[in-house]
Amino acid sequence: MRKAFGCIAGICLLFSVAGAYAAEEVAVGSITPLSGKLAVYGEGFQQSMLLALEEVNAAGGINGKPMKILYEDNNSTAKDSVSAIQKLITVHKLPVLFGPAASSNFLAVCPIAQENKTVLIGAESAAAEITKCGDYVFRVFPSDELQGKGAAELTVSLGYKEVVLTYINNDWGVGLGKVFKENFLKAGGKIIDEFSHDEGKTDYRSEVLRIKKHSLKAAVNLTYIKEGATMLKQAYETGLKVQWLMGSASKSPKLVELAGESAEGIIGTYPTFSQDTPQYKHFKETWEKKYPGKKIPIFGEYNYDMVHLTAKALKVAKSLSSDDIRNALIEVGKGYMGVTGDKTFDANGDVGAVYGKWTVKGGAIQDYKP
Amino acid sequence: MLDYYAQLVVNGIVAGAVYALFAVGLTLIYGVFRFINFAHGELIAWGAYLTLMFSGFLPFGLAVVPALFLTILLGIGQERYIYRSLRQRSRITLLIASIGLSYLLRNALRLIWGSDLVSFGFETRRGMSFAGLIVTRTQLLMVAAALLFLAFLYMLLNFTMLGKSLRAAADNTELAEIMGIDMKKVGLSVWILSALFAGVGGILIGIDTNLEPVMGLINLLKAFAAVLLGGAGNVWGALLGGLCIGIAENLGVAFFSPGYKDAVSFALIILLLLFRPTGLFGLIGGIR
Amino acid sequence: MDYLLHILVVALVYTVFALSLNLELGYTGLYNFGHVAFFGIGAYASALLSLAGFPVAFSMTAGMIMAGAAGALLAVPALRLSGDYFGVATLAFAEMIRLFFLNERWLTKGPMGLPGIPRPLGIPSGVSGLPLYFLLSALVAAAVFLFTCRIARSPFGRALKVVREDEYVAQALGKNVFSLKVQIVAVGSLIAGLAGALYGHYITYISPSDFTLNETILVLLCVVLGGRGTQWGPVVGAFLIIFFQEFIRFLPIPVDFGRVVAPIQGMVYGAVLVFLMLKHPEGIIPEYRI
Repeated sequence: MRKAFGCIAGICLLFSVAGAYAAEEVAVGSITPLSGKLAVYGEGFQQSMLLALEEVNAAGGINGKPMKILYEDNNSTAKDSVSAIQKLITVHKLPVLFGPAASSNFLAVCPIAQENKTVLIGAESAAAEITKCGDYVFRVFPSDELQGKGAAELTVSLGYKEVVLTYINNDWGVGLGKVFKENFLKAGGKIIDEFSHDEGKTDYRSEVLRIKKHSLKAAVNLTYIKEGATMLKQAYETGLKVQWLMGSASKSPKLVELAGESAEGIIGTYPTFSQDTPQYKHFKETWEKKYPGKKIPIFGEYNYDMVHLTAKALKVAKSLSSDDIRNALIEVGKGYMGVTGDKTFDANGDVGAVYGKWTVKGGAIQDYKP
Repeated sequence: MLDYYAQLVVNGIVAGAVYALFAVGLTLIYGVFRFINFAHGELIAWGAYLTLMFSGFLPFGLAVVPALFLTILLGIGQERYIYRSLRQRSRITLLIASIGLSYLLRNALRLIWGSDLVSFGFETRRGMSFAGLIVTRTQLLMVAAALLFLAFLYMLLNFTMLGKSLRAAADNTELAEIMGIDMKKVGLSVWILSALFAGVGGILIGIDTNLEPVMGLINLLKAFAAVLLGGAGNVWGALLGGLCIGIAENLGVAFFSPGYKDAVSFALIILLLLFRPTGLFGLIGGIR
Repeated sequence: MDYLLHILVVALVYTVFALSLNLELGYTGLYNFGHVAFFGIGAYASALLSLAGFPVAFSMTAGMIMAGAAGALLAVPALRLSGDYFGVATLAFAEMIRLFFLNERWLTKGPMGLPGIPRPLGIPSGVSGLPLYFLLSALVAAAVFLFTCRIARSPFGRALKVVREDEYVAQALGKNVFSLKVQIVAVGSLIAGLAGALYGHYITYISPSDFTLNETILVLLCVVLGGRGTQWGPVVGAFLIIFFQEFIRFLPIPVDFGRVVAPIQGMVYGAVLVFLMLKHPEGIIPEYRI
């Protein structure tokens, strides 16, 4: 027992020393998936954030002080996102945090951010639920409320009045599925069968068979990349021929790579932004200079915008308290044209968007033109 | 509509064939050593992952050989370095050690290959159609491989001295020793066989779907359900048990959410243990 | 300082959890590998009730009782099985409970989990509530510790140890072995439920992935490392393991290697379990055998 107390005392000493960092920088925290199933995206987020960070600091930082991003790994899970945010708030006492990717992870930490009056910004989280998170929570990525409408309109415009609906069993899928259903039913459509499918499974044959059972012409499948690829492949194997209608999370070259031929002909929706603006061109040039040969990662533009917008807010904020930063953020957001478009925040901290259509033709993702 | 259920049964038979392989291995170990090796599942996973590694520079058919060889070594290693010395101690020590070992092996897998799904990367092909049912080449391969190994086992058990010693040892270890059967040799063969079957099954599952670090544990529990169904220690019971589990799982999905598919085997384990621990087909004791 | 309090709270929660497992595993020799199921039932029940508007103290108590009842219900049929089989049955039960949490979205919100769980006694949810919550956890842990001490020293506790050593002797001595076992599983599950509720209201977010085999391994490690069947064993084990876990977070690991931390940690835990069983099965604090 004495042994144990000794260990504990020693560790306590260690911890009281931790948490001190250079006071001459302005630090923000970021909960990023550096490991786990989203790690492959996490790398892209970091690269985009770094790109913006360097530009900020090259232009003089935050009123002369360099800006720094402190990354905490959340292992792509909600549970570790909670530990990460606890650490960032209790140890480092940061007033602004960039939220974790994946709507479920974001939703797990937003009550904590709200309670502690810490400003939380998300660049990848689409779930409609996030709108209700509170007045300290913002996002530069549009809510799925809009995508659900767009998806329903697309389905109806293509002439499919009866569909099977399946969605991935997490906040994004369930949320988008709900909004799609509401809008589709309003437009006179009928959902013959509806069910969720779990994340991360290796075998979706039962789900595929359930879709096949109904012999309908179209199936709405709101899912992530790996799951989508597996389902498409297994559907192909069982000879299921159906028009797949998918969502923004499936729109990725990786899905096409994994699914191969079975991905041909998918049609989907996604939030678009013009690639002709000077902001986008600047971003593309700078990206290619810093990371030659690397493709712009999914959500990369949103992360870039988030860092720049935050830096601007930190510059004009009256102090580095979260309330002042929050007000500054709202101010600078008004009419801010980022790479991804207009970033004016509405009363709930959401931004607007325009939705476009994509399809897979000849093994590549293109815009869909009917 | 009948097509739908028939297809589910076909998928069930294919899955069940692989579960049968696992169950047979598990029941052999239980028959001779009378303990539940929680780390058995990791042999399934390691067999598949090692094949993945070797297939990086060998053609797939050849890659299987060193992978299975290493898996067998892993199985023998478990016995020799850990279980043998613990057998004299209390039961709980053995069980905790096997749980600890399985956790160690599973995380070693995650360390080397990551927690994500990986795939052998075979091309997708349309399945072949027979009388309204779709069967893919992979599925046929799985059933064929399972049948091959089970046939091999049958011949071993019934037509060789080793096989007969195995059956005797499983029936009554002490008596077998008195009769002069070399328990060391028997023990070794049991481990080799069960590790081999586990590895093969793991590879087959990897071909059929994907590989993930938890594949060992999940399949272990299903194999255990099959063992219980057939009666612990009963090899042919384990085979039938495996098929039953496969079919039950796949048919079950027609009636409840696919999310509960794995729960079928868990529920079966609990129900069997509570109401019929001797299994549907036989008595505990003896490889029949 | 705040972070230290945070770790202490988690360590205290696991102390309660480990003490409850120790009652079943350490004193009575029951291989309950599904103990996390009751941790989870306590957490979910308490969270759902308090989110529905019931006062937190009531929800925590109700969560405890539900966990205890579930334990008793499982115990009655399951304890008829011999050791190994009981272990597997409890493992299967824990997995089924987790699948239930995952699939019954209408009740538990499935994989999305339950965020925003309120704190008891009006303790604020943010960092400012930490010192008070620490006090609460310390009080609960102390109470549970004293309670388990009393059991250990009582005739009931001694009977449990006899059951562990040799069931037949216990029966020969006239003890109702079955009834003893059911009672201790019910009590153990009750306390595990309390630990679960304490956990849920602290972290303010729970999801099915909080209640997996990993947590079973963790609490098993706490009990086994610290010393099964002793009073202080689980406490020492819980503190050591939790502090070790958090200590890892502070090691300056280059970003590229971030992804190896979790698996290596897992390997260490597994290796420690095996090593302990091979060389030092009593753990840090050995039990004094009469």
